[in-house]
Amino acid sequence: MKAQKTSSSGRRNRSAKKVFQVCSLLLLAASIFLGLLTPLLADDPKPDPAGIATGDKSNAVDGGGTAFMVSEPTDKTAPNYAQAKKDFDDFKAQADKEPLAVKLADTVGHVRVATNAAWTLNTGYLVLFMQAGFALLTCGLVRKKNAAHLMMLNFAAYVFAFVAYWAVGYAFQFGAVAVNAAPTNLGGTPTLNHFLLGSGLWGFLGGKGFFLAGPAYDAGSNVLILFEVVFMETAGYIIVGSICERITFWSFILCELFVGGILYPVFGCWVWGGGWLSQIGTTMGMGHGYVDFAGSTVVHAIGGFCAMALSVVLGPRLGKYGKDGKPRAFPAHNIVFVVTGTFILLFGWMGFNPGSTLGATDLRISVIAINTNLAAIMGSASAMLFWYMKFGKPDISMACNGMLAGLVAITAPCAFVGPTSAVIIGILAGLVVCLGVLFNDHVTKIDDPCGAISVHGFCGVLGAICLGLFADGTYGAGWNGVGATTYLGKAGQGVTGLLYGDSSQFLTQLMGAAICAAWAFGATFVVFKIVNAVKSMRVSREAEEEGLDVPEFGMVAYPEDSLHATEA
Amino acid sequence: MKKIEAIIQPFKLDEVKNALTGIGVDGITISEVRGHGRQKGHTEVYRGAEYKVDLIPKVKLEIVAADARVAQIVQTLTDAARSGKIGDGKIFVSSMEDAIRIRNGDHGDSAL
Repeated sequence: MKAQKTSSSGRRNRSAKKVFQVCSLLLLAASIFLGLLTPLLADDPKPDPAGIATGDKSNAVDGGGTAFMVSEPTDKTAPNYAQAKKDFDDFKAQADKEPLAVKLADTVGHVRVATNAAWTLNTGYLVLFMQAGFALLTCGLVRKKNAAHLMMLNFAAYVFAFVAYWAVGYAFQFGAVAVNAAPTNLGGTPTLNHFLLGSGLWGFLGGKGFFLAGPAYDAGSNVLILFEVVFMETAGYIIVGSICERITFWSFILCELFVGGILYPVFGCWVWGGGWLSQIGTTMGMGHGYVDFAGSTVVHAIGGFCAMALSVVLGPRLGKYGKDGKPRAFPAHNIVFVVTGTFILLFGWMGFNPGSTLGATDLRISVIAINTNLAAIMGSASAMLFWYMKFGKPDISMACNGMLAGLVAITAPCAFVGPTSAVIIGILAGLVVCLGVLFNDHVTKIDDPCGAISVHGFCGVLGAICLGLFADGTYGAGWNGVGATTYLGKAGQGVTGLLYGDSSQFLTQLMGAAICAAWAFGATFVVFKIVNAVKSMRVSREAEEEGLDVPEFGMVAYPEDSLHATEA
Repeated sequence: MKKIEAIIQPFKLDEVKNALTGIGVDGITISEVRGHGRQKGHTEVYRGAEYKVDLIPKVKLEIVAADARVAQIVQTLTDAARSGKIGDGKIFVSSMEDAIRIRNGDHGDSAL
């Protein structure tokens, strides 16, 4: 009996290995092909790996973004040519008189970029630490018999999603960022300037910087890579909370490669890489284009709806639904992990949102940090009180989910709203996550052990919509190239929501969030429905009953509690 | 020779142990156990789904003593473990055939 079991599990491993090998080979071949393609596009600005030339007098700007340097106007037919020419002549006369000042501006510009690079890197490190938070949170929420499995998924997510992002993800997402969305705070990354699909204002996929080599081997670009890869990783962890306790490790690796290489970068390119969704303000007159400041949709809803599709493909955990169709509770095995993990996530979010300015010279960071905290506490308060009133006791895991819901929902609007709106957004998110968890458990019957779909999917969409409602116009003038001089008839008017008079922004947000959910759910569902048809992504019934720790990884999380430790 | 098994409330353990040491009981073995008696537990809600908590944590004490000592030990146990509420537990007394001290092979009461 034992021999038979070993040989069948050996067969299973071998064919799983085969699927895995074929997929990785395909991915490698595709990325090498793309990598070879890029150097052929000649006539490019040179990357600056040493960082010596990144940041000069052109980066010396004041608090409002007005440049120290005035450039000579070239278009003589432009309506404001005369004024622009006069400004340039005045500047030139002054500069000729004070050459040392112009020289000093080089230093000022370099220090400005260096300040922003330091800020962006350090906030990126905070976001990196969120991995530990996710690991503790999701591990605590599952049953003891799957604790090692959960830790391994969280750990491997970082590893494999990073591999995919290194090979193709970053290039797909930011390979054309300099075309429409150059990160000027970091020196502008001028080498990332080519769309693989589309061009100009209608870009669909970036095409420079495969394997982080060539055009991406640049000091400014590497700041961006560090910050963006940890964002992508966040989407990578989110799915763990939904698919755990039943997914095989080989198929989990495929999921992570898919998220890091394709799913996340594509939508990320559309919104943050200068792609078409960010530019519909210019091309179609829709507000400031689709705006998502730090990733309610780009990161969280992508992860949340990908998790939803995977959970549908996998089906619920054994025993989750009884014969009467009623959901059964699988209580968390370590609530201490859950709360500690949530606090680590809150701490990391202080990098996630304020860091998304990509610069400390943008003093809006303080407002963002406070908004983020306000939404977090209000999300938790409303979830706690909702549960208290409905079930008589405040569920600790839902209190934590409520805090994360508030954080997810404020992530898109954090830079554009005031404190009162942040409070309202937090309260709404806390209610949405409670209703979402109950809805999934009792109505859709999509099994979501850690509430990832409700926290990240539903509240991510809520965040994008709230931006379209509550943005007060005090920040983001000229966002996505819209309204650089005036917007809604006012100079300096920034991104504005429905309640402050811009209905087109609200519609844009609705559309963008819907596209995000459809892309994340649709693409994931199609790809993994096929994978699952070729080979089941679920572990065997026996493995699931025993707990995945030993069948999948050969060890348990807490050996002192287990006979496995003493068996010879 | 008798074996006394007592299932008690976990929070009463220290009191019971001190009382037993007080009357000169040298050997006690305890284990953490779960179970229910007539008190059948209660339901809780976890993330919106109900579940039963019907196996309640208790502590089990095992004492093996010479026949003459049993009455006093049982009395001390009962007094120390009683809170007067449902769930205080039970004491079982059974006969024990023999006891052997592993170190030197002593048998019977002298091995206790």
